[in-house]
Amino acid sequence: MAVAIALIFVVGTLNFVLVHLVPGGPGAILLNNPRMSPSAKDAVLRSFGLDKPLQEQYVLYLAGLVTGNWGTSYFFLEPAFDVIASRIPATLLLMVPSLILTILIGIVLGVLAARRPFTYVDRFLSAFSFFFYAMPAFWLGFVLLTVFALFLDVLPAAGMSSITVSGFDMIDYLRHLILPMTTLTLVNIANFSLLVRASLVEVLDQNYITTARGKGLPERLVFYRHALRNGLLPTVTMIGLFVGFILTGAILTETVFSWPGLGLLTFDSILRRDYPIVLGLFFIFSVMIIASNLVTDLIYGLLDPRITYD
Amino acid sequence: MTERCLSGAGKAMQLWKAYARSKSAVFGLVFLVGLALAAAFAGYIFHVNPELPDLAKDRVPPSFEHWFGTDYLGRDQLVLIVYGARPSLIIAFTAGALLSVLGTLTGVLAGYFGGRIDGFIMRTADVFLTIPTLPLVILVVALMGPNLFNVMLIIGLTGWPVMARIVRADTLSLMKREFIEIERVMGASIRRILFMHLLPNQLNSILVYTSLSIPVVILTEAGLEFLGLTPLSISWGFMLNTSISYWISGAWWLSFFPGLAIFSTALAFYFVSDGLKEALNPKAKRRRESLVVQLATRK
Repeated sequence: MAVAIALIFVVGTLNFVLVHLVPGGPGAILLNNPRMSPSAKDAVLRSFGLDKPLQEQYVLYLAGLVTGNWGTSYFFLEPAFDVIASRIPATLLLMVPSLILTILIGIVLGVLAARRPFTYVDRFLSAFSFFFYAMPAFWLGFVLLTVFALFLDVLPAAGMSSITVSGFDMIDYLRHLILPMTTLTLVNIANFSLLVRASLVEVLDQNYITTARGKGLPERLVFYRHALRNGLLPTVTMIGLFVGFILTGAILTETVFSWPGLGLLTFDSILRRDYPIVLGLFFIFSVMIIASNLVTDLIYGLLDPRITYD
Repeated sequence: MTERCLSGAGKAMQLWKAYARSKSAVFGLVFLVGLALAAAFAGYIFHVNPELPDLAKDRVPPSFEHWFGTDYLGRDQLVLIVYGARPSLIIAFTAGALLSVLGTLTGVLAGYFGGRIDGFIMRTADVFLTIPTLPLVILVVALMGPNLFNVMLIIGLTGWPVMARIVRADTLSLMKREFIEIERVMGASIRRILFMHLLPNQLNSILVYTSLSIPVVILTEAGLEFLGLTPLSISWGFMLNTSISYWISGAWWLSFFPGLAIFSTALAFYFVSDGLKEALNPKAKRRRESLVVQLATRK
């Protein structure tokens, strides 16, 4: 917990340092106007608190991060925090189903490969995983989009809901979800399948497995009860890190499918040079990853009694 | 003298034989060398200005004249893709080298000194592993300006922790070996132990993991270009970026071929890294660990 808070502090500091490393400092973006009079510039600097000494600005900045005062979006002219917060549900509606699907498929493929290691099944599954691992998420998105939305015209191409539908319609949402979710899932499966396979193969080499086999237990029981339980432990750790991978994938996938979440906001804000939003997005992404790492660590502790927390 | 040369050549031959056992590894290498040569000598291969628009040929589908079709400005996509290989390959090698050197140095120092230095280096690595890489890279490039040097620097600076973990683990196990202990007892300098023993003994695994991290670098860089964070008018990711506005017109080749280029280059690097691993670390064959496995088994 203390580590998580320290990390959030580090990320916040990083944000602050980065803004001040920009040539000209944070004011440069606002004041890049030759027709502005010096007194007007001073007024702008004062209104954003940029005339104060650096250490005071830093303290104010950190306090602002905690209280949700993340500056004002140059484009929306609304608090950056509100703009970002309004986009979080859409991203979760894409990320969570994809996360669940990836974990399930990844575990199944990993188990299949580990059941018969170093055979053709194993090689095929590894190749399959690497094939999609090397694929840029945004390109896979385009390919699916062209085939299913344009040529076959069976699925919607963009957005999260049809314009004709009012309110939340489950079937409409699911139809929009299929393509981006498939994209996000396929490019990330390798993270799980290769890991599950590797850790299962390693566990199967251990002495207690040999003992179990020596006792004459049926292979099914040895594999699923003795090996799988231990072999899945590293996967739990992976889920924490995986939230990071899937966020990265979501930025690119959302852009392709115009999914109205944080990823599309990232793309649009870069285009609009809307720095308060870009900074806030980096902060929220970091917080999401740190939080998921914390949760996985706690789950890990529950699953593996050898690990204790102070 | 001749004998040593022969044995050197013989060793190289042996390595090549081990490498060439994997067809995909040879294929990947041929692809990459071909791509690099084509990109380097693009000016001699194609006698057209890659940037010159020809609006009469706006979005012509693939044909014998234009294998990959033309883009929205009527430029030949094959020419653009060959020129676009330049930034991808340059970033791949420079950022790959940077992260590998940083990771190796920090890892070997952490493993050698242990204690507080180890703790400091590895906690820093943990922080870098937790911070989401692509958003950080996006932020830095957006703020600092998207030139090739910044992109290379930031990808290299965020990519080292995994390498550091691997090198540290290898260093720790090497430090327990007798020949290092003997050197230490005999009072060998740090420099001698580091450069004569620790680094040469893990050169193989350093090479393998460097080649394994390059596809990730390529995909990250392509992602940046796709988001519009590139100083260059010709690059694979940026071709995909501009194709967003045109996909609805049915011009599938606008996004298909640049993406195919990114994908096949990343895949070729995986093939090469797999071949290197088989050739250099035959003992590790049964353990086919991957970068992701290393990442996850950190606890």
